[in-house]
Amino acid sequence: MTAISIPRRRLAVPRRPHLSPQARREARWGLIFISPWIIGFFAFTLLPMIATLAFTFTNINLDQKEPLSFVGITNYSRLFSDPQAWESLGVTLRFAVLALPISVGLPLLVALLLNSRHLRGSGLFRVLFFMPYVVPFVAGVLIWQTMLNPADGWIDVFLRAIGVAHPPDWLRDTTWVYPGLVFIGIWGIGGGVIVYLAGLSGIPTEYYDAARIDGAGYLRQLQHVTLPLLTPVIFYTLILGIVEVLQYFLVPLVLNQGTGEPNGSTLFLNLYIFKNFFGYQDLAYGSTIAWFLFAITLVITAVLFGTARRWVFYAGDR
Amino acid sequence: MASRLSRPAALLAVFALVVGACGGSTTPPAASVAASTAASVAPSEVAASVAPSVAAPSVIPTVPPGGPVTVTWFCCLGGGDEESQQKTFKDVAKAFEATHPNIKIVLDHTAYAGARQAFSVKLASGTPPDVVGPIGVGGASAFEGQWLDLQPLITKNQVDLSDYDQQMLDLYKAGGQGQYGIPFAIYPSELYYQPDMFDEAELEYPPTSYGQQYKMPDGSMVEWNYDTVRNIAMLLTLDKSGKNATEAGFDPGHIVQYGFEPQRDDLRTIGAGFFGQGRLLADDGKTAQIPDPWRAAWKWIYDGIWKDHFIMSDQVYQTPAFMGGYDAFNSGKIAMDENFLWSVCCITEAGGNWNLGALPAYQGKVTAPINADTFRITKASKHPDEAFEFLRYLVAGEGRTKLLNAISGFPALKSDQPSFFDQLKQQKNDKGKLIYPPDVNWDVATAGIQYADVQNNTESFMPNYNKSLDVLVKYLTRFTGTAGLDVDTELTKMQTELQAAFNK
Repeated sequence: MTAISIPRRRLAVPRRPHLSPQARREARWGLIFISPWIIGFFAFTLLPMIATLAFTFTNINLDQKEPLSFVGITNYSRLFSDPQAWESLGVTLRFAVLALPISVGLPLLVALLLNSRHLRGSGLFRVLFFMPYVVPFVAGVLIWQTMLNPADGWIDVFLRAIGVAHPPDWLRDTTWVYPGLVFIGIWGIGGGVIVYLAGLSGIPTEYYDAARIDGAGYLRQLQHVTLPLLTPVIFYTLILGIVEVLQYFLVPLVLNQGTGEPNGSTLFLNLYIFKNFFGYQDLAYGSTIAWFLFAITLVITAVLFGTARRWVFYAGDR
Repeated sequence: MASRLSRPAALLAVFALVVGACGGSTTPPAASVAASTAASVAPSEVAASVAPSVAAPSVIPTVPPGGPVTVTWFCCLGGGDEESQQKTFKDVAKAFEATHPNIKIVLDHTAYAGARQAFSVKLASGTPPDVVGPIGVGGASAFEGQWLDLQPLITKNQVDLSDYDQQMLDLYKAGGQGQYGIPFAIYPSELYYQPDMFDEAELEYPPTSYGQQYKMPDGSMVEWNYDTVRNIAMLLTLDKSGKNATEAGFDPGHIVQYGFEPQRDDLRTIGAGFFGQGRLLADDGKTAQIPDPWRAAWKWIYDGIWKDHFIMSDQVYQTPAFMGGYDAFNSGKIAMDENFLWSVCCITEAGGNWNLGALPAYQGKVTAPINADTFRITKASKHPDEAFEFLRYLVAGEGRTKLLNAISGFPALKSDQPSFFDQLKQQKNDKGKLIYPPDVNWDVATAGIQYADVQNNTESFMPNYNKSLDVLVKYLTRFTGTAGLDVDTELTKMQTELQAAFNK
């Protein structure tokens, strides 16, 4: 009996694409040229991240009076029972509710204005809006500190001149400190404006022509052409805005030496991480809060990505 | 051929990029107040001689068979990070090496702003430097327990410390035991004032020596205390219409001249340490406490800012008109200023007619807080003998005067003190003009040493020092920047927060 041999189907293992010597050479040189970034990423991002994750399970600090040891989830337990950590998270979220819509919406509004055909000298305005973005950030914060000073800052001097008898103490009053910080943030919207302008310039003019033929006015065009086609850029700005606001740190550090004044209202979570890690030299606990913040950021961005398919439209999508 | 050449070139470029990416940017030196002295104080030598009592005998040692021992000198936990200062430090190290071929000095410099973190890392990683300095009491307190007791080395080398004030030696004793430093640079405190403002207000100048009474405008003689200071400071505080703080219609929103300016480095020096010696840590080493004179001082300061208006708030302090957050006395708009001697470094902008007076008393007792810088040896140093040899050279060797001038330090060696003020009087600026007014009462600064807070220095140790200091910074900001507070309630909260920091 002759066995019937059934030809084996070849397994559908994808084969590595065959590269020509020229392509291999190019790939090798490509890798060599990007190796500074790869080395930098491993040495200065990935390894420190892994190290800080390991720190969270130890008692490591720079003033190591007790022997270095594995402490399990002690640091995480401490985090969940640390009222200051939760208060700082609350401070961060309260500020985010006020700052995020402005940091995402205002650059869009400005970009729409700058993109208008009716605006004269739009190039000049673009430069003016972008200029603050190139000023060193700390210098900008210090300038704003002077401008918001209730004693002789321009803003309160102006408010007094128009009849406000008791203008706000922007940076020392718990009621006004968040609007004050948002003011400072508005100064740096130039980067966001440039991104939106790039997005606006990428919308094909044919869509507007078609909309006009269909009788759509400016608002209809905005609603049905501009905004939908700009949603990838809005999404990108929103993600970056969330990451930035959750990492908000430098302004309160410079303005109030990181004290959290007035009355703890500027002790943001990232500032609390900095204080624990560098100020109190408690690397283990500082790393734990940092990973906590990372987890929060990850969850929020994951949720946003999950919703993206409902409201973000990419060219070529069906 | 081109391809052969391009590969090494590309690899070289990658290497250069990696090095460039990894290399830290040049950190600008932190602007330490005392440090900026170097620019204004010409390095005029007080005396080029070696202080025979402390410095090592001048016998040139031989190089050991294994080569010279390396001693690491860590800077800058207490200032000293300006370029000119670093150059001086390097010169001093070279001069030491020339006479000590058995020891090689490696100057390890980290800018003041990041020095505590860098020093912590070195300790934690088991690579401690040998000699650390210049470092003040506060900087040393932040690393309590890390310093070598020098007493065995002092005894072994038969070092004679008789040329130091016992008060200053005691400053470096911890709990009455050990000797953790040899005095080097000291900064007594005193009252700076503007005679022209007193003349304009028809007021007597502050007393020129301790124990003198003060003559009030009505002719009565009163004790020179903080009540008196408050009364005359209000007379010296003027609004833009020229009314003083005691007059009806005085406008506290538009003050152009303030009567008094406290030392603002720390909550412990804003009034507190000047009212009396004290510590926030009780004798049991665990409990947070608020000394009564300090409580009184903070109330006095708070009322001075928010009720009597003779002290500026932090909001005003930050304005360019009052030097934008630095030594406000230099604005020339402050009548009296409590501060340390190191502030003479930057006083040239305060006008050409300022002077020094005695500090006021609180409850009949004068307290003149003192700052001090010296060099220390780490407990974990692997070469304590060689480090001590170098330390003796720094504090009492030939280079000491250069070092003192570089950090604007008043010499702790008594034999060097008289000539210190002589050389200050002779110092000239770039235009050949004398820097300091010719009739400054420098004696009152020296006299303040006897009232120094050596037993309980304002910067003395607190558990969890950095975290505890953070609490103090918070309340300093709050008191100087927030009206309408109940100071007692705030101090109760502060004590609770301090206790939490101490407990950790």
